Amino acid sequence: MTPLARRRELAVSVAVFLALIVLWEILSLVYTAEAQPGEPMVAGWGTLFTRTLLSLSDYWQGGFGVKSVADGAQRSYLAAILSLASHSAATFVRLISGLLLGGVLGVALGLGVSWSRWSRRLVELPTQFLRTLPLLAMVPLFQLWFGTYFFGQVLFVAYGVGVIVFAGVVNAVRNVPQIYLDNARSFGASRSQLYQTVILPAILPAMRSVTLLSLGAGWGAVLAAEYLGAQSGLGYIIVYAQQFGLLDRMFLVALLFILYTSMSYWAIQRLFARLLAWSPAEAAQ
Amino acid sequence: MAGGAGSVAGRAGGRAGLASRAWAGRALSTLDPLRLAGAALFLALWQGASEFASPIILPGPIGVFERAAADFWSAPALSYFGLEDASLAGNLLYTAENVAIATLLGTVIGATLGLLSSRFWFVRAAMDPVMMTAGTVPILIAAPFLLIWFGVGRASAVSLVGFYVVVILYISAQRAALNLDPIYENYARTLGAGRRGMLGAILIPGATPEVLGGFRIALAGSWGLEAVAELLGSQTGIGKVIEVLAGATDPQGILATLLLLGLAAILADAVVTLLIGRLTAWRDPKA
Amino acid sequence: MSMAAPNPRIIELVEVGRAYTRADGQAVTAVDRVSLTVPEGEFVCLIGPSGCGKSTLLQMVAGLIEPSSGAIVVDGKEIDGPGGERGMVFQRDSVFPWMRVIDNVEYGLKCRGVDATQRRVIALDYLRRVGLAHVERAWPRELSGGMLKRVAIAAVFANGGRVLLLDEPFGALDYVTRHQLQDVLLDLWEEPGRAVPTVIFVTHDVDEALTLADRIVAMRGGAIVDDIPVRAERPRDTDSLLMPDMVAIKHKLLGHLGLERAPGRAAGRRARGESAA
Repeated sequence: MTPLARRRELAVSVAVFLALIVLWEILSLVYTAEAQPGEPMVAGWGTLFTRTLLSLSDYWQGGFGVKSVADGAQRSYLAAILSLASHSAATFVRLISGLLLGGVLGVALGLGVSWSRWSRRLVELPTQFLRTLPLLAMVPLFQLWFGTYFFGQVLFVAYGVGVIVFAGVVNAVRNVPQIYLDNARSFGASRSQLYQTVILPAILPAMRSVTLLSLGAGWGAVLAAEYLGAQSGLGYIIVYAQQFGLLDRMFLVALLFILYTSMSYWAIQRLFARLLAWSPAEAAQ
Repeated sequence: MAGGAGSVAGRAGGRAGLASRAWAGRALSTLDPLRLAGAALFLALWQGASEFASPIILPGPIGVFERAAADFWSAPALSYFGLEDASLAGNLLYTAENVAIATLLGTVIGATLGLLSSRFWFVRAAMDPVMMTAGTVPILIAAPFLLIWFGVGRASAVSLVGFYVVVILYISAQRAALNLDPIYENYARTLGAGRRGMLGAILIPGATPEVLGGFRIALAGSWGLEAVAELLGSQTGIGKVIEVLAGATDPQGILATLLLLGLAAILADAVVTLLIGRLTAWRDPKA
Repeated sequence: MSMAAPNPRIIELVEVGRAYTRADGQAVTAVDRVSLTVPEGEFVCLIGPSGCGKSTLLQMVAGLIEPSSGAIVVDGKEIDGPGGERGMVFQRDSVFPWMRVIDNVEYGLKCRGVDATQRRVIALDYLRRVGLAHVERAWPRELSGGMLKRVAIAAVFANGGRVLLLDEPFGALDYVTRHQLQDVLLDLWEEPGRAVPTVIFVTHDVDEALTLADRIVAMRGGAIVDDIPVRAERPRDTDSLLMPDMVAIKHKLLGHLGLERAPGRAAGRRARGESAA
């Protein structure tokens, strides 16, 4: 793409982005209905970052010298920031724990199953079946089995991630070009050297898309778990606010959530760009 | 070298024979003894574990299958929980209807936008940032908003799943159109084809396989999304059934329902794959 | 490197066969009871038309495929799978893309546990010999096909195996690169100060075989049909290939490949005024 065309595209994208922002502001001026006194349904940008932000201090439990609104304290920006920080942290901790647990187990089991051709075919049908069971429909089941607290939520995320990673690893190992395996063996590599020096690096390109898929599933699973029975977290705030029709708060928290997910994707892309510096496909990007 | 029509018919028959042999080969590979043994082992382990655990925690596979069959046409207990349709089949149908509407509508919209974006740069510049952001954020984020705007009912669930499908099909269609080998268009130009002729004869058929592939992927994900949309706010459907059974601490019922949902997804996927195979029969399987 | 007395039978194939059933149920004999003895230090070319079994035979010696019958003995021991003493250069690019050039060349030494400094010295030495010392830190994706082949050759020689197996290594390269690499290979093979490796080189290019080999073994239909010694002095240039004894060998080989016309036909056609086919 020529530099001119690239600038043209960027200009249009920015214009569209700005147009959406302006459109929202216009809508907020036109549609002034309020869900509750003082809580507009479509809050303009000014209101969002002042009144709505302040109202988020309602979700702060108290601590750090800042009393909670429930105990009679005034709403304050500090409380609002603290509440956003703590609920974001709750969501992050669930997500990361689930990703790590599911990722590690998925890779370990995937490599283990790939060790022999027999084991791979043995687990193939049950794995495929578990993959077709829609993950998000299983929230109530996990809550029944493991409770609605941290343990149950992390297990749910880990399950969703683990199934994807396991299937991805098994498939990737299967697709390692035979020539690399033959080459390594002709140099006298042992089985474990084969795994370390050939199979693990060779599956990295496939692991990039597996990781991105897992990230998407992880975010979705955390959100679903928080919607359906958590007591903290960004999803909890959204669904709690929804019950009172507090659209403006939902919108603000949703914007923050979108920011977090975009950043996480960007971070993973950067990570893999570094890990895959050797890949010819990488150079093409 | 045999002559004329006889050899053409012979070759056509041979090709059909080859295709059915390939299908038989694939079916046989699914039925290969090691895979079947694996499935049997899984069921056996499950049954074994369920004997040790209490039925409240882990119901066994046999019980789950029986429950799924029993409740399929009639499950009177469900009506006590306020469900309109007291059968798994009825609720499954509702869910399937929503999935169908959402995927078909979403495919048409998403694929059209995607194809347009590949040919008109301003469409692409306008839509890409929106679609890419929508691609990273879990679509569930929109669910509470849709519930407020459309209330409880079909519209909120269908629009949620619909958005999901639109994003996937947009990306598939755009990628398919952009990756289309330029050699076909160049060839058509040398034969004097105009812009519109190329759209119908080259762009759409050329992009169709990948777009249909995107459709399959979107369909697979739609079932879970529809179920959770129902879980969040619906009076009927598989999601509602699961919610109700969870409240009644009935894991056997939940597993039976999930089993049926999974089977519905597999069946739909199989039918769609068959149709796609027909529509793209011209494809070189080796390519 | 020890300079033990050369083993007159370092590679022995005894009635080696390879048969399998195709997908449609037909039995195929890829290699039909081949027996061959190769003395140490000899450069053998295996030549034959497509499907004659030469690559299959080579892969069995490498240990990548198991023979259905017979035995393969290398240096007195029956082989059991691949091993570092039988290095292999493949036709397709086998250099690991996730390792830099220098790490690829060190790979065999690393597997054997040679320590890092010594590995580095040996690897750099061989990279220099193949003319690639300036790209030691490069990624394989940055190199051309010819350069990758040099890396593969350097790696296999650096590993120091007594047997070298090459499976149409230059088949995918252009004419010029192919000839340059033939020189590179011979330079490394004849390197003074170390035991000369035994080489089995599979090719379908008659000129390549005549340029490289001490001995050309022709195969057809899974069996050996001819075994011709080549006594010309190395290095062999264009003129060497035009010597009468070399031309005679070439005719024989072309005949085995099915490319020799029967002498009467061309003359007869010219007499009838038809164009040459």
